[in-house]
Amino acid sequence: MTATDTLQPDAAVGGGRDVDVDLLVVGAGPAGLYAAYYAGFRGLRTAIVDSLPEAGGQVTALYPEKMVYDVAGFPGIKGRDLVAGLVEQAARFDPVYVLGERAEHLTNEAGHRPRAGERLVVTTDKGTRIRTGAVVITGGIGTFTPRPLPGGAEWEGRGLTYVVKELAAHADQDVVIVGGGDSAVDWALALDGIASSVTLVHRRKHFRAHAASVADMEKGSTVVVTDAQVDSLDGGLVDGVERLHTVNVKHKDGAVTPYKAHSVIAALGFTADIGPLETWGIEIVDRKIMVDTAMRTSVPGVYSAGDITEYPGKVRLISVGFGEAATAVNNAATYLDPDQPLFPGHSSDDPAGIGAAAAH
Amino acid sequence: MPYVIGSECIDTTDMSCVEECPVDCIYEGDRKLYINPKECIDCGACEPVCPVEAIAQDRRVTEENEPHIADNRRFFVEPLPGRDAPLGSPGGASKVGKIGVDTELVADA
Repeated sequence: MTATDTLQPDAAVGGGRDVDVDLLVVGAGPAGLYAAYYAGFRGLRTAIVDSLPEAGGQVTALYPEKMVYDVAGFPGIKGRDLVAGLVEQAARFDPVYVLGERAEHLTNEAGHRPRAGERLVVTTDKGTRIRTGAVVITGGIGTFTPRPLPGGAEWEGRGLTYVVKELAAHADQDVVIVGGGDSAVDWALALDGIASSVTLVHRRKHFRAHAASVADMEKGSTVVVTDAQVDSLDGGLVDGVERLHTVNVKHKDGAVTPYKAHSVIAALGFTADIGPLETWGIEIVDRKIMVDTAMRTSVPGVYSAGDITEYPGKVRLISVGFGEAATAVNNAATYLDPDQPLFPGHSSDDPAGIGAAAAH
Repeated sequence: MPYVIGSECIDTTDMSCVEECPVDCIYEGDRKLYINPKECIDCGACEPVCPVEAIAQDRRVTEENEPHIADNRRFFVEPLPGRDAPLGSPGGASKVGKIGVDTELVADA
């Protein structure tokens, strides 16, 4: 059992719901989770939104097993354990997690560009509306999206997919999987016996996936085609609907082989992009958010922290992100209520360590 | 402290690193690939997948590959042969496709 599957919060809020909070954190990586802790300590009702289905951001997505040696107080900690600790630390204030949803739009209640003092509304790609007094953007390197299959755009949803949502959806289909990583090989293993045929196409001879999984795949009935890539997709009318039926695979020597396919699953990895944040009206330079010493962005009520921020002298480290998160949240607290002090008090002065939350 | 692609990549351009890079910051010249030091997030995902071990962190490159630290940067900040403007930071190699030109250091190799 790993730390993350015991401590990972439920995606408590489903699509299309309404959420009402004092502070919204955009991005559930280390800086965002720590911001949620501090917001709770300040007595703010808090939500965290992230396009990934799990908390932990880049650490969970890219290097959960890597040891991190530069977090204060931890001589060495595994990425996933650090994330689990951050989730646990924030959990005492019970933040609302909106995971697997990408924050798309930022407006005021009337749907316009917000002005100082107005309530903010962040809408996700799944239609969830989060009303909040302030926002802290801890978006890291941006939102993760699957790397597109070249030439595949027109077949998306008509035979081309980037994730396997349900194995049963591929029952009795001819399936072509593209890629050489763990996802590609794991899906080939899972669909072997469910699909009527599985063909895996990989650009190289060597796989990045675990050697044991590759060996299992080679023992099974999957047709493994290496040193080859998808050249083009063909389809035709099936029951009046244009559907994929053939994947043309080009080998290293230039020869092209057609494979029958009802589905092609492209598992080519993920890329991160700052994405929708560019439309929020905040000042962004080279895909980084410009902030001042209070971690304010150019939009009133919107703060930022962590790898996504930029200012003279910026050092892009996890430990710096934690400090910025505390600065952003405490400044946001005085924005929300100017009578509140900027300094939150010491967590150690409070027997329960729950700060302003004790008043609620 | 970005990662750097060295001379071993010349005439190899295997592209595995390109598939691995989560920020799509590895650009294809003609005979070699180049990492954009401004876009690289130092995650190291590219290093182990290179079949010719051409990739290393800039602090750890071999002595013979030291000129490639500056050369990876040069690919983006100086106009490439036959071009008027530098490539800069396009924010993703797949957005611009194959550049098809190399730096002088690589073209003369």
